[in-house]
Amino acid sequence: MAMIDLDKMLEKVKATQWALADIDWDAPGAEMITEEQWPKLKDFMVDLMWIEHVGARGFAAMAKKAPTETLRQIYSYFHAEEQRHANAEMALMKRWGMLEDGELPEPNINLRLVIEWLDRYADEMPYYVLGTVIPMLEIALDGALCTFLLETVDDPVCHQAFEKINDDESRHLGVGFTVMEMQGHNKTTIQMVKTMAPMLDPRLMLGIAAYFPLLNKMRDNVVKMGLPEEKLYAAMKKFKKIGGRTAEGRRNPWYQLIQHHGAIMVNRANRFYHVPVDAAVKATGMIPRRMLPAVPSWVKELTWEPTA
Amino acid sequence: MAKSIADDSAGTSTPAVPDKTVTHKPAAVLIVGAGFAGLGMAIRLQQAGINDIVILERSTEVGGTWRDNQYPGAACDIPSNLYSYSFAQNPDWSRSFSGSREILGYIHHLVKEFGLDRYIRFGKNVEQLEFDERKGLWSATTSQGEVFSGRSAVMAQGPLSNASFPDMPGIEQYKGHKIHSARWDHGYDFRGKKVAVIGTGASAIQIIPELVKEVEHLTVFQRTPGWVMPRPDFETPEWNKEIFRKLPFTQSVLRQALYLAHESMALAVIWSSPLTRIAERVGRWHLHSQVKDRWMRRQLTPNYRIGCKRVLISNDYYPALQKPNCKLITWPIYTLCENGIRSVEGIEHQFDCIVFATGFEVSKAGSPFPVIGVGGRQLNDDWSRGAQAYKSINVAGYPNLFFTFGPNSGPGHNSALVYMESQLDYAVRGIRKILGENLKMLDVKPHVQKQYNEGIQKRLAKTNWNSGCMSWYLTEDGFNATMYPGFATQYANQMKEFRDKDYLLVPG
Ligand SMILES: Cc1cc2nc3c(=O)[nH]c(=O)nc-3n(C[C@H](O)[C@H](O)[C@H](O)COP(=O)(O)OP(=O)(O)OC[C@H]3O[C@@H](n4cnc5c(N)ncnc54)[C@H](O)[C@@H]3O)c2cc1C
Ligand SMILES: [Fe+2]
Ligand SMILES: [Fe+2]
Repeated sequence: MAMIDLDKMLEKVKATQWALADIDWDAPGAEMITEEQWPKLKDFMVDLMWIEHVGARGFAAMAKKAPTETLRQIYSYFHAEEQRHANAEMALMKRWGMLEDGELPEPNINLRLVIEWLDRYADEMPYYVLGTVIPMLEIALDGALCTFLLETVDDPVCHQAFEKINDDESRHLGVGFTVMEMQGHNKTTIQMVKTMAPMLDPRLMLGIAAYFPLLNKMRDNVVKMGLPEEKLYAAMKKFKKIGGRTAEGRRNPWYQLIQHHGAIMVNRANRFYHVPVDAAVKATGMIPRRMLPAVPSWVKELTWEPTA
Repeated sequence: MAKSIADDSAGTSTPAVPDKTVTHKPAAVLIVGAGFAGLGMAIRLQQAGINDIVILERSTEVGGTWRDNQYPGAACDIPSNLYSYSFAQNPDWSRSFSGSREILGYIHHLVKEFGLDRYIRFGKNVEQLEFDERKGLWSATTSQGEVFSGRSAVMAQGPLSNASFPDMPGIEQYKGHKIHSARWDHGYDFRGKKVAVIGTGASAIQIIPELVKEVEHLTVFQRTPGWVMPRPDFETPEWNKEIFRKLPFTQSVLRQALYLAHESMALAVIWSSPLTRIAERVGRWHLHSQVKDRWMRRQLTPNYRIGCKRVLISNDYYPALQKPNCKLITWPIYTLCENGIRSVEGIEHQFDCIVFATGFEVSKAGSPFPVIGVGGRQLNDDWSRGAQAYKSINVAGYPNLFFTFGPNSGPGHNSALVYMESQLDYAVRGIRKILGENLKMLDVKPHVQKQYNEGIQKRLAKTNWNSGCMSWYLTEDGFNATMYPGFATQYANQMKEFRDKDYLLVPG
């Protein structure tokens, strides 16, 4: 991937839109989900859908922070596209009988904490922090999870939906990596080090406290579903490889930090990291739901219904 | 295009006029448009003793903006006492911000009071304006092929008079009912209907609170949120009108106070200053006090400096959005379809009716119809990279032609009619000169115009309009040919002075 022309990208994004109504959600194939698959798939889909939604909220924050009008518009589209992915995944769940009428599936507690954090602080996070974390989430979670799903589920409607979703995703990544490189461009080392200052921001630390356990939790969930752990790790490596393909990209200290973290996450032997984080997963699992504040209203916008 | 017709318009004996063409005897002044500007022009000319006037109006009624914008809730957002002519004050305004119909009534009153009917030719849509250097005459060709001419001409066709449905993908496919805010369909029954409003600008925020009362469900599509300020609107008590009638100077005092209050807003709206921050704080406070949900507040928070686009005023817009039968959508629209609107979050929103509050076609780089000057030059070419004029009113190469609402005459903070009055008086002086000294041409010198514009652009660079947001004030390349970078008082002062030496005078 070379640096892309963002204006052309915006045009392309505008020209390649789709709606849930483009897919026939009642077409045959739903019966291909086996009984054995069903409960695990349901959990998996719930996680996936919420990750999309978290990504959506991330792009919303990016749109506020974007340095140019073109990027602002691109992120506004991506924000909506991630919402579309979540909506489409809900439609699949509906198709597979995983949703009651009017039901909005519950996010797991770690996602819930991330949602809470995003709602409070995402808009205040510096652009370059979001600009590095989001591609990471996209490539690791979205990327690995989607490929896996397609390998295990035969339902053609699922494949049809994900073909569209993946087209969107490839554009998200293209922009994501281009922006990471732009951030490493034309900057002195000192300027780059300064971008690390928010590390000391307690709000960001809170975010990290929500984000690390989420990754471990997701790892546990997908492994439970039968996704080989290596798939997730391969995705992390891909982030490292693409993000670091140019000198500019490698100069971005946030890239360095996040890809190092990825490497640690991948290394189960690093007990120094995994023992406390896994403990955090357990601990958060014990937080009673009613202790959490009400979900923010942007969460309630999700719907599986193609028309309103 | 009816090219040679102009040459015959003076009533010379050349018989080569096509059958259908009707040519009229040249007037002293030819005015295009019978809105506030065109009618105000006629009044001021008449008061200066010039009565040989022809006003060409494409519609069948006077009033322009206020004839066309009759959507529910339509009203001015500058207090009526200031949004009216100082030479024709109205003691009877029913409230601080009068509705569209009342303003239209005032315009009809002007026509009657000053006997303007005799000048107006209705149903004459001007398609071209051309200058004949030999005769020193402007001729206007109408859609019907009629030709009207005048020793001088005034462009008063309105800055916001051309409205059509926006060029959105799929608009042709949509089968439901479509309404443009500036061409309201009064016959449509909204009761029990699912309705969308596209746009959240000045018109939309007036329409939405009214529509939401009637429709079954209203969906509002917003692209960029604007700054919304509280609106100090109240009815004028009868005793107050009585005072205005009996002691007209009291109304002038109020007008002056309103004028100064608006002038002070320039400090907040035009330039970035501590007042800008205060104004933004007021805007945020207004939002906070009216919208409880954090996410919705976020959706409604502008991401540009106040003043960069038109500041909106409303007390009932935010509450309307929160009514149970109203929904705000900020997802981008990607296409219209047979039954409604598809937005990028993948959902097709279906409607019985879509209201387009999408604004107007503003000609920032080019003229609304071909205007041909000395030596066949075209205003469209001269303005291809952004409109330019001298003091907003004259353009070099287009002698004896006066623009109302010309380039860089737009107010961001004050009544358009305050600016208009200065333009009208300036035009009167130019026209008197042409007629009085029997000039064939009064043409602003190119270097004078150039110098003036360099100054304007330098001053514009420091304003909020040029601070990075996208608005209809700017051309695609970010050139601001619309707004005047200063106080109304500064503008009025520059227009008070008519300097002969700025012009090339060619005797007849
Ligand atoms: C909804 C709305 C609210 C507004 N509120 C305010 C406000 O509160 N305060 C403020 O200062 N300004 C306001 N404005 C701006 C407003 O446009 C001006 O204040 C003013 O009314 C313009 O008057 P005008 O005569 O220049 O143009 P118009 O009122 O548009 O009149 C132009 C006339 O020319 C005619 N015409 C156009 N083209 C041709 C042609 N080719 N041939 C023949 N005739 C033609 C039109 O039919 C029309 O009658 C508002 C505008 C709109 C749209
Ligand atoms: Fe996605
Ligand atoms: Fe994505």
